Amino acid sequence: MKQKLAQILENSTKEIELAQDLKILDEIRIKYCGKSGELTQILRGMKDIPAEERKEIGSIANSVREKIEKSLEDKLNALETAKLNADMEKEKIDITEPAIGVKRGTLHPLTRFNNKFIEICVEMGFTVIQTPEIETDYNNFEALNVPKNHPARDMQDSLYITDSILMRTHTSTAQVRAMKMFKPPFKIVCPGRVYRNDDDSSHSPIFNQFEALVIDENVSLKDFMAMIKQMLIKLYGENVKMRVRPAYFPFTEPSIEIDATCQICQGKGCSLCKGTGFSEFFGGGIVNPKILEMAGIDSKKYSGFAFGPGIDRSVMVTNKIPNIKYLFRNDLRFLKQMR
Amino acid sequence: MKISYNWLKDFVDINVSPKELAEKMTISGFEVEDIAFMNEHLHDVYVSKIEKIEKHPQADRLVVCQVNVGFKNVQIVTSATNVFEGAIVPVALDGADLCNGVKIKPSNFRGVPSEGMFCSGEELGIDDNYLEGASINGILILPNDFKPGDKIEDALMLNDVMFDINVTPNRPDCNSVIGLAREVCAMYNKPFKDFDISYKTIKDDINKYISVDVKTNNCRRYMAAYIKNIKLQRSPLWLRSRLFTVGIKPINSMVDITNFILIEQGQPMHAFDYRYLEDKKIIVRQAQKNEKISVLNGNSYELDESTMVIADGKKPVVIAGVIGGVNSAINNDTKESIFECAVFDLKSIRITARKFGLRTDSSARYEKGVNVNAPTLAIKRALHLVDALNCGEIVDGIIDKCTEKLEEKKIIKVSYSKVCKILGFEVPVDKTLQILNGLGISSQIHGDELVCIPPFIRDDIQNENDIAEEIIRIYGYDNYNNINDEPFENCSTTVGEYEPRLVFENLLKNTLVDLGFFETLNYSLYSSTACDKLLISADDVRRNVIKIANPISEDLSTARTLMAHALLLDISYNLSVGNKDLRFFEVGRIYQPKALPLTELPIENNRISFAVCEDKFNFFNMKNVVENLLVNTSLKYNLERSKEPYLHSGISADIVSKDGKVVGWFGKIHKLVLKNYDIAQDVYYGELDTDYLSQLPEKKFQTKEVSKFPPVERDIAIVVDEKISNQQIQSAIKSACGNIFYDVNLFDIYRNDVLGAGKKSMAYKIILSSDEKTLTKEEVNAIIGKVLKSLEFRFGAKLR
Repeated sequence: MKQKLAQILENSTKEIELAQDLKILDEIRIKYCGKSGELTQILRGMKDIPAEERKEIGSIANSVREKIEKSLEDKLNALETAKLNADMEKEKIDITEPAIGVKRGTLHPLTRFNNKFIEICVEMGFTVIQTPEIETDYNNFEALNVPKNHPARDMQDSLYITDSILMRTHTSTAQVRAMKMFKPPFKIVCPGRVYRNDDDSSHSPIFNQFEALVIDENVSLKDFMAMIKQMLIKLYGENVKMRVRPAYFPFTEPSIEIDATCQICQGKGCSLCKGTGFSEFFGGGIVNPKILEMAGIDSKKYSGFAFGPGIDRSVMVTNKIPNIKYLFRNDLRFLKQMR
Repeated sequence: MKISYNWLKDFVDINVSPKELAEKMTISGFEVEDIAFMNEHLHDVYVSKIEKIEKHPQADRLVVCQVNVGFKNVQIVTSATNVFEGAIVPVALDGADLCNGVKIKPSNFRGVPSEGMFCSGEELGIDDNYLEGASINGILILPNDFKPGDKIEDALMLNDVMFDINVTPNRPDCNSVIGLAREVCAMYNKPFKDFDISYKTIKDDINKYISVDVKTNNCRRYMAAYIKNIKLQRSPLWLRSRLFTVGIKPINSMVDITNFILIEQGQPMHAFDYRYLEDKKIIVRQAQKNEKISVLNGNSYELDESTMVIADGKKPVVIAGVIGGVNSAINNDTKESIFECAVFDLKSIRITARKFGLRTDSSARYEKGVNVNAPTLAIKRALHLVDALNCGEIVDGIIDKCTEKLEEKKIIKVSYSKVCKILGFEVPVDKTLQILNGLGISSQIHGDELVCIPPFIRDDIQNENDIAEEIIRIYGYDNYNNINDEPFENCSTTVGEYEPRLVFENLLKNTLVDLGFFETLNYSLYSSTACDKLLISADDVRRNVIKIANPISEDLSTARTLMAHALLLDISYNLSVGNKDLRFFEVGRIYQPKALPLTELPIENNRISFAVCEDKFNFFNMKNVVENLLVNTSLKYNLERSKEPYLHSGISADIVSKDGKVVGWFGKIHKLVLKNYDIAQDVYYGELDTDYLSQLPEKKFQTKEVSKFPPVERDIAIVVDEKISNQQIQSAIKSACGNIFYDVNLFDIYRNDVLGAGKKSMAYKIILSSDEKTLTKEEVNAIIGKVLKSLEFRFGAKLR
């Protein structure tokens, strides 16, 4: 009997091993473990075996049954896995075919720069405001220390609507409005469109600026420079270099112009920066005390600084945009490059 | 402002390279925009003397000259016919690179070697105005006293350098050589070398010859001198060289002196021919209506009261500060002259210059502002030159009419510590004083008090900030270049805030980008034809547009009241260059005046517009876009048939808020509008009022427990009249289902001949769900039956 069981185990193991598909495997199961299978027969015949052998034989028979069932199950799993793998192999696709569904568009490069700059400003404690584009001559010029017929008006030919209303020529109008809206200390930044009577290959009659204004006690040119340095680092990275030059604006005194490492050549010198390694970032300076007084702020107590980067140039430089007109042309072939 | 390096050196002892000086000036606030070396094309050109001329053995038209170049003798072959033995001529030797591009190297003319070339005036870059005989077509014959061997640039005084400097509007005093020289003195810590204002006069009295009467406040000061027995001649070479370097044509000594004073002193002058001044009077007044004047540029102008003139007893002779009349100009035979040295109000000059479109050197200078004190020295400097150049006899006395009190010395007292506080660091006291005094601002310190007396021409210095700027720009802004401090160490902390509308706009922008849209940027000024192209009716408020008084072009003449124009132009342009599948949006403003002409600022309304030009895109695709945008807001709205004239009247909708405001619209663009923009494909367009939407309360979400019991779905298809809307049917279904309603979706619509005209079949999936129990088949059937009855009762709907 023992021999017979050993034989069954050996034969079944061999057959299971050789089985190639589920059908054969099932036949093997029936052959040994089915209702009238070889092993089932033996197990059923246990009652005929003498009692002294029964225990031992029974134990062996059960062990054989367990082994066969285990082999069957393993083989079953192996065959199923193989089939799934084979099916997947058949279903293999070309993964380089195009994606299906709506492709994202793009934000305008100017919006991206704006958002980044605004984020930096807000982090530094600036409140973002928006002011009108059609402005009074007073807010655009006179309140900024540029009286009628002041030579500084030549610096920016304006688009007038009436004698006293014009398209704002700079976002500096936000300074005038902010000084009425807020009580010091405050920091504001105003992004927006500005307008000039100037349209040629390198000038757009409409372009974009930021105006930032800080009014507080004890604000110095050093604070201004230190803040700008931090902004530049956030915009252009730790290696950015800054260069400060004197300048003139009617509403700041002292006035400066700040250049930053040219983002095209990273300071090596290129045609865009005329070999200097720097490109103009913006102008600003300490708020002229006259402006504070005109706005009703005590210039003995408070001081501040104001600055306004023209962002179109910065955007052009960072994105290597060949011509300022591209910013307003809205050619899909151009916009897609920003994706 | 163009100045000459040699001229600058008259007032300050410096010996630095032009490039170094330019850099120094630029970092001190005077940006040098251009440098021109007057001798750029004069190297290897020398003064020479022709010792001997022989015929060329082989060529009839050539001669062979033996030439003394001082340090050596050379042989030159030339075809020039105006050379002669003993002539002093310029000769270009090996290496020369002349103005007309000719490069010189030794050559051979039919077997005879030539070591260079004689030069014409043109090849040296000069003409008769600079040197007599320089314009002739031939070799320039130089004056006999020129010494062979001298470099031509030295002999002709062309060894100068021109700097073109951008003088900022706050420094009108630096539109002069002396002003800039003072700056250079401070930059290099050198003393300012004073200029000579001495001259001889003849004993007489100017008042016997001329009277000056100032009758307008636009003339702040008028000084006049009288010169007689004038000998008009060429100015000496050194003076011509100065003017030539700064781009002014030398004419004759009298005119040259006025130009010289303009550049050196920054003071415009005028010289009259005394003969033609009627009644021997100078009257400064506003012109009378209908007065006329013919001026030196060849034009005649009709004047009125807005224009200030210099008149004699009878007529205007000069448009004051702008241009002289032909009737009193200096001529070759002028024997007596009145020198004018005046200060006019800059606004008056500016208005006149603009009115006549006349910008002269004089008006440009006056518009920038000439200091009322400037003529005091300028007229004496001019008379010094008259005397030194031996131009004529100066009659005793200078007439000086001043309509305002000349300011005494201006003393400015500022706190030294305040100045340092502005800069954020301490500039040492000795350095501070050195810089200020170097700039001519005579300064002393007493304790913390800095007492400064600026030169009378420095109107711009008024307070601590001005003093701080003077110090730092000379001390050097580069002190800040490597700053790494924390900003605002002694200031308050402020908390930054975003602007709610900008935040909202960004939300919409990102939504559109996700939906495949590209952001565009468009001009907010457009053509006045936009309203016509968009079929805006005559009584539409958006026809009330704000016009630019001085537009760049018609295309940029009008502040927009409509957003659609820009995106349609963008689509038209993109189609024209072959781009397809266009999805664009723009965030921008429209400008609606409250009344015209504008007396107060208009309403600026922020909007977002979006447009699609793509195959298989339809109204409902656009509706999806709109819904995806509005889901960002708490807006409750209805859709109504749109009234926008540029949209298809049947395929468009206004978005109307619960309080009845139209907050946007969308739909298919009208066929005629497409034609107006040369667009051959359908375009869907929409826009929203972001001002309105961004101020809505924040969207709040309230949730409830989801049902534990499974939902049941049932499909129904009904036939109804075309005029019945989906919305009507859906709300009827909802109300019929009562509290077990979960959702309803339209999943199919079709129309065919069997249904008949004016009928449509609508298929809905109705989803029911109870919070309390699993719905039985019977309960569901009962509800669906109720739904169908309701639909039949309300809309005559038939189950299919």
